Amino acid sequence: MAKNKNKGKPRNYALDSGVYRFSASKMFHKKAIHKFLKKTVAKKPADKKPVFVEKKIKGDKNGGTRMVRVKKLTNNVPTMDLKKKNTTRKSVFSKHSRKLRPSLTPGVVVIILAGVHKGKRVVVLKQLETGLLLITGPLKLNGCPLRRINQRYLLATKTSINVSGVKVPETINDKYFARVKSDNKVKKDGNIFENKKEDYKPSEQRKADQASVDKQVLEAIKKHPQGAALKSYFKAGFGLNKGEYPHKMIF
Amino acid sequence: MAPKSGRLYAKAVFTGFKRGLRNQHENTALLKVDGCAGQEDARRYIGKRCVYVYKAKNKTSVPNSKEKSQLRCIWGKVTRPPGNAGSVRAKFRRNLPPQAMGCRVRIMLYPSRI
Repeated sequence: MAKNKNKGKPRNYALDSGVYRFSASKMFHKKAIHKFLKKTVAKKPADKKPVFVEKKIKGDKNGGTRMVRVKKLTNNVPTMDLKKKNTTRKSVFSKHSRKLRPSLTPGVVVIILAGVHKGKRVVVLKQLETGLLLITGPLKLNGCPLRRINQRYLLATKTSINVSGVKVPETINDKYFARVKSDNKVKKDGNIFENKKEDYKPSEQRKADQASVDKQVLEAIKKHPQGAALKSYFKAGFGLNKGEYPHKMIF
Repeated sequence: MAPKSGRLYAKAVFTGFKRGLRNQHENTALLKVDGCAGQEDARRYIGKRCVYVYKAKNKTSVPNSKEKSQLRCIWGKVTRPPGNAGSVRAKFRRNLPPQAMGCRVRIMLYPSRI
């Protein structure tokens, strides 16, 4: 080895401008740090990603599956420009905040103001995800089933029943009440104009749920200090009479 | 099950259109609600829907029903109370016909705020 002429002098020094003469990588070589570094991590074999993926397609006579590239080729330009979905729409219905009028808590007796069941006094059970309220007659008392209603069509009274013990099944939500779409496939054989509108018939599921929820509600009504009177209260409808003015009434 | 319920609306009379002495504005109707005296009472009706129901000679179709009926209606909304006397302003989808003056208009109890 040649005699080290630079012994005693610093390897790195500052220039007049304040910047150091040698960079970190140069110093690495000057100091021979490679001799002192011994840790090496074994190279992990890279995960092989599949180039093609098998995907199912519809149609009876199409062979069932296709091999689709995972990464599309750069020369793959679509033939039609698809309509851009407005993904920046901020307020989506499902994300709206649902408010509940303070007078409409579960258990409150409410008068329905519009619809088929107008004038009936019913019990509020809970508020569903879309903001609609779930109510029940109970069916035996006034013929009103488990139903969804908008808060705006309900007049809250001061009477309420303790329904903390009433457990409404989790399955009863907005999907439960969604209108059933009839699968009317227009067949070329049959007459298109013969599609009958079938009358609504409650499903067995509905009847069972109705019975189980009503049982609990009726029990809660019984427990109420004015239980007997409440029953006839439910059975009677609400109506304004002569001299009764809504603006002067406290419900 | 339940007996047919009674009235679910407040009774009002169509007294006239919004007007100054010499000009009237037919797009806004003035309704006098039964039993309502004063702005405080009238405020309770703001936002409520109102209907003018009338009969016509020819039968027209009714929504959600197969039968046709001679009843027709014009829907509207109570907008505000004018003045201090308990009457109420309403705007209808189509202006009320002047022959409705003095006739019954129903003020429904919904959209409810209670």
